[in-house]
Amino acid sequence: MTQKYRAAPKDDLIWHDLDSMMLLYHRPSGITHMLADPVPAIIEVMDNAPLTAAEIAARLTALFDLETGVDAQDIVIARLDELRTLGLVSRVSG
Amino acid sequence: MGGMHQILLKIGPAAFRIASAWRQPLEQLEALYKDYPQPIGEYVDFTVRLEPEKPWRRHIRPSVHIGGDFWLPDAAPLPLTQGLLAAEMGMNLQMALGWRRHLLLHASSVEKEGKALIMTGLSGSGKSTLSGMLAERGWRFMGDEFALLSLDTGEITPFPRLISLKNKAIDAMQQLAPANRFGPEMKATPKGDIRHLVPPKEAIARMDETARPALLLFPRFGHAPELRDMGQAEIFVRLTQASTNYVALGEEGFHALTRFVDQVPTRAMDYQSVEQAEALIDRLWSQLP
Amino acid sequence: MMRDARPLVDALREPASVKSLNGSQWTDLISIARAESLIGSLAHRLEKVTMPDRVRAVLQDAIGAHDLARQQALWEADCAQRALADYPGKIVLMKGTAYVAANMSAGVGRSIGDLDIMVAREGLPVVEAALLDAGWEWVKPDPYDDQYYRDHMHELPPLIHRERDRMIDVHHTILPLTAGPAPNAGAILNSAVRLDNGLYVMSPADMVLHSIAHLFADGDLAGGLRNLWDINHLLRDFSAADEEFWTQLDSRAKVHGLGDELARALRLAAAIYDAPVDPSLAGRPALTDSLYVRRLLARDGYGRETRKFTRFAFYVRSHWLRMPPLMLARHLWTKWRKGGKP
Repeated sequence: MTQKYRAAPKDDLIWHDLDSMMLLYHRPSGITHMLADPVPAIIEVMDNAPLTAAEIAARLTALFDLETGVDAQDIVIARLDELRTLGLVSRVSG
Repeated sequence: MGGMHQILLKIGPAAFRIASAWRQPLEQLEALYKDYPQPIGEYVDFTVRLEPEKPWRRHIRPSVHIGGDFWLPDAAPLPLTQGLLAAEMGMNLQMALGWRRHLLLHASSVEKEGKALIMTGLSGSGKSTLSGMLAERGWRFMGDEFALLSLDTGEITPFPRLISLKNKAIDAMQQLAPANRFGPEMKATPKGDIRHLVPPKEAIARMDETARPALLLFPRFGHAPELRDMGQAEIFVRLTQASTNYVALGEEGFHALTRFVDQVPTRAMDYQSVEQAEALIDRLWSQLP
Repeated sequence: MMRDARPLVDALREPASVKSLNGSQWTDLISIARAESLIGSLAHRLEKVTMPDRVRAVLQDAIGAHDLARQQALWEADCAQRALADYPGKIVLMKGTAYVAANMSAGVGRSIGDLDIMVAREGLPVVEAALLDAGWEWVKPDPYDDQYYRDHMHELPPLIHRERDRMIDVHHTILPLTAGPAPNAGAILNSAVRLDNGLYVMSPADMVLHSIAHLFADGDLAGGLRNLWDINHLLRDFSAADEEFWTQLDSRAKVHGLGDELARALRLAAAIYDAPVDPSLAGRPALTDSLYVRRLLARDGYGRETRKFTRFAFYVRSHWLRMPPLMLARHLWTKWRKGGKP
């Protein structure tokens, strides 16, 4: 799949670490999200550049210990769909 | 359209105009709030309106509709005998919907040694009663309905309205506080039997003195006494549920609440009597840095 | 004790007029402004006027509250746009959301409620399906109301978003279909102006006429002072930007059958807010103009609606405007049978 995704600009996001979850205040919407791993990491590795799900999965695998046998790309796609509903990630055309 | 009577009240940082089609609730309010300062220059932040639910319910089976600058549709009316409660609910409504100068937490608060103890929880958790009790036992009462968290300093500002006692708590407090500080008995209100208690004179005199929040408790009445740690995520979620204006305050609200969760030690506290609660609180308080 | 809303319109028209107010008069003014949903607009109008700190604090709060409303409204429009990404037709923003999205003076300090959008009637099934798919739900599941809405009203039954708890109203024209004047929805969509983000707003003349239709047809002039304040801003901005504006307004009014309403609204906006109006469009003052003004100003210093008799006359009239008498009887009878209030 060559569909690329882009995360909301860094300036739109304010992060706060709680013990088991990350809080994310999204400025354009005024909504506070509570995100569990690996979602904050996904947004972080997207780093404002358009990436495919495979590229995101590869970056995640490089940075974090992921369970073997788990298809990181499937997880990433599922999370990206959720993030798109929330308006935190968008599809990039072309 | 009938005439309206009115009084002005100042409680902590907020001032109210209470307008009413009937004199009686205002006379009751005036008597109970007699030691409170008047709003300066007659400037207020909100108007509460107590009006007949229908024009013909002004004199016959008088029924009070709670309204004001901020209002909710389908608000249930109260009988005139509970007009005092209607006025208090009206003030709560204005604060909940309109106050922006602090983050509001649905919590009671008391102060000792410049530090504030905040107690939050659902109706029936006992936060009002505990604050009333502690206020008679060496603590300074700061509020029983709303704790006001400053957006820039993180301190708690007093908002000491009449303490709202329900059901069994009424008898218990009547053992501790003199009769002349109690409002009228109101039976069978939507929240049970209610009686209001005027805060101690000291609480009123010092209503402009803030305090640093030092301990947050989630009390739960009716369980064997115990203190439990709580995860930050749970605390944060429960506090957003306990806040009427977290969303309305946007980024400032986010910063104020996250700082609060980061800095204030928090416990869940189960108890079966006020004495047990006081013992648990004293123990925790003595262990604070 | 202020007896009507004149001090509010005076303050909006002439900010310096508030300098003489004392504490209890400010309290009255604030209650009236809040009741008329004009506190945000008032706060912005009075930004440069000296006033006591306590009043400034109240008005600052209003500005803060309306800034949040603006932010939420724009986000809601954004969410709707994303949900409708596969819908090829125009999505036209309406009312307050349109004013803020297009950065208009009418949007400054404006209170905004639900998101209102307009799409072509033939696009409704696709739009409805896409919104339901993206997390919106029906508010009222009653089949009679639903049928009535779909057959006769100018919008889909109301939808609310499951998680954000915000309502969206999807219109396909600007007045109920069973009412007298028949606006030309196709013309509105054709002339709609594209914003940078790909959403649309109505053309200037249509925007004014929509607000006017709303003023007269949507109720007993409830919220009329705010409506006219919007119209005042629109007229000022559009007439200053384009000398053809009045001509366009005239011809669009004929297209939508709103000539009489336009004339009355212009007279009222001029009378209440000194709005600039083209005298040939405004026409001669009518005897009933003063009745309208009385109704619009019927708010006392406690924020209560006054002048009950005038109100009642307007309420009955507005029901008649929305539905022909036979339909009204049937509609009310069915509602009565089901135990609802008319």
